[in-house]
This record gives sequence, C-alpha cells and structure tokens, in this order.
Amino acid sequence: MTTTDLDSLAALTRDYAAFQSRKSGLATALGGFMAVVLVIAALSPNFMGVHVLNRLLVEFLVWIPLLWLVAKEIIGHLVYRGLGPVRALTDVTYERRRWGWILGFSLFLLAVLLSALYAFASSLLVAHQPHAALQPPPMWILVMPFLYLLAMPWGIRGIEEARAYVVLVGQCILWLIPFFLFSFGPPTPPMKTGWGLFGDVLGVSILVLIYTVLIWGALAMVRGWKEHREYLAILRALPREP
Amino acid sequence: MSKNGPDPRAILDLDRVVHEPARLAILTVLASAEEVSFLFVQRVTGLSKGNLSSHTQKLEGAGYLETVKAFQGRIPVTSFRITEDGRAALRAYHQQLRALLPKEGKP
Repeated sequence: MTTTDLDSLAALTRDYAAFQSRKSGLATALGGFMAVVLVIAALSPNFMGVHVLNRLLVEFLVWIPLLWLVAKEIIGHLVYRGLGPVRALTDVTYERRRWGWILGFSLFLLAVLLSALYAFASSLLVAHQPHAALQPPPMWILVMPFLYLLAMPWGIRGIEEARAYVVLVGQCILWLIPFFLFSFGPPTPPMKTGWGLFGDVLGVSILVLIYTVLIWGALAMVRGWKEHREYLAILRALPREP
Repeated sequence: MSKNGPDPRAILDLDRVVHEPARLAILTVLASAEEVSFLFVQRVTGLSKGNLSSHTQKLEGAGYLETVKAFQGRIPVTSFRITEDGRAALRAYHQQLRALLPKEGKP
C-alpha cells in the first residue's frame, strides 16, 4: 500500500463525511430554487392577471423553510447515506468562518426587519392617533433582538448542525413577517407619513435583500448540483464490492 | 539512526498491528473522521465482511479502535471510532516509516 493510496483513502473518507455535515448536494440546489420562488412569488402579487399572493399562498410560504429542512433530511438519507453514517471531524476554522457569515447575515436581516416593522408600526400609529392613545415604541427596544442574536451561539452550542438551522429558519420566518403585515394590514396604509430618510434607507435595504436572496439562490442551485456531481465521483472512486 | 543512514534494525521496531496493510488502511480511514460505519470502511478498503471483522477485532484488542453499536429505527448499525492510542500509533508509524525510507533521488 503506497502513501498515495493512503492519501486517497483519507480524502475519500473526508469527502463522504462532508455530505453528512456541511454539504447537502441536491438539497442545497432545492433550497436555492425555493428561495428564488419565494422572492418571485412575494414580488409578483399579480402574476399574469392572477392574484397569486393570497392568504393561502402566504401561509404556505411561511412553511417553506421547514419543508426544506424535512426535504433536506429525506434527500440526505436517500441519496447521501447509502454507505452508512460517517461523522466528520470538526473543522474549527471552517466553523468559525461559517459562524461569522451566519451572524453577519443575521444582523443585516434583523436590521432590515426591525426598520420595516418599526416604520410600519409608527406610521400605523400616526394614522390612528386620534382614535388610539398609543405611542410608537422607544428606539432602545430595537436593540433587544440583537442582544438575543449575539448570545445565541453560546446558548445553542453543542447542537452540531441544528444551530445553523435554528438561525437560518428563524431568519426566514422573521423575514416573512413584513409580508404578512403589508399584505393584511389596513387597506390603505399611510405609507407616506413619518417615513422620510428612514423610508429611503429601508427601500434600499429591501432592494439589497431581494437581490442578495436572488443571487444566493442562483449560486446555491449551481453549488448544489456541483456537490451532487462530487458525490457521484466519490462513489465511482470506491473499489468494487468484494 | 546510524552515521551512514537509517538503522536497518529499526524496521523491526515498527508496530506490527499497524504495519499490516489492511489494518493500516482501516486506521487511515478512521483517522479521517470522527466515527465511520462498518459498511463504509468495508467499501472504501475493499475488504470482505469477515476480513474486516477480524482486523477490527485485532485493532480493538490493541486499544486502537472502539466499536459503536447503535440502531437506526430497527436496523442495527455498527460503527468504529479511532482511539487516542490509535491516532498516536498511526502517527508514530508514519514517522518511523518516513525515517526508514531513502531520501528522494537516492537509491
């Protein structure tokens, strides 16, 4: 047995194990596709004259992240665990980098969401001022979710992959809240009162968010398919059954 | 190591549990992951079930691996995990072998 043989044995094991930790292959491609559909459906309430964004569809969209998680598990079991479970070694650098990305993305999403919710709530309250003795919430309340988010990595440490899912699924569900509010709020929400510069920043942020999700979705589809081909290459590289 | 190169008798010091090709392959696979299923080790090494069982028993006897038995639903799944002793033995074996092999370009 040569060192090349040993190296390739080690590489095959690492590559196969990666499909049970950080690579999801076809599930990644499906996730990208679902994200693109989600954005397009949300942006096209009237697609070719049909009122697409009705309450039923919005309720269905909310479940998409959870449906994706279920699909991911099923695909993982059916496609990528044919040779039994192989638990990968923990890559500290990769984990740290991944958490950096997740936290950065989560902070950005939270900022957009909170701006949207705050602006919406404020404008709604301004519009109903004569009838309600309510006041807009104080600004410091907006800091609370960030504190929660910053503490989360320690709170859910040791749950392996689940922690990433907790964050991402949570984000996706949170992201849909504004759609709910804008879809089922008052028929003519007073959008033009009390927005100003806040509204401009919010508009740009939402635009950036939409493009980010669309680009991420497209990249995920390509990456997922590429990963799936890598998996097929692993199977081809294995010796024939004795 | 002697003045003129590696001591030829050093080859006798190699860990014979690790030196056997099938066991070396098994340990290499196990060292590349946290826990590996029986089926995967069998497929990747190309060993028969009987051969693999016999070699893993020897490695377990030497304290180089642990067998983990679990159930996935109703199906029993056997997996292996390399121990710290196993990792150390594999590392030592690589170092010894590297010291014994001639340098590149020299016969």
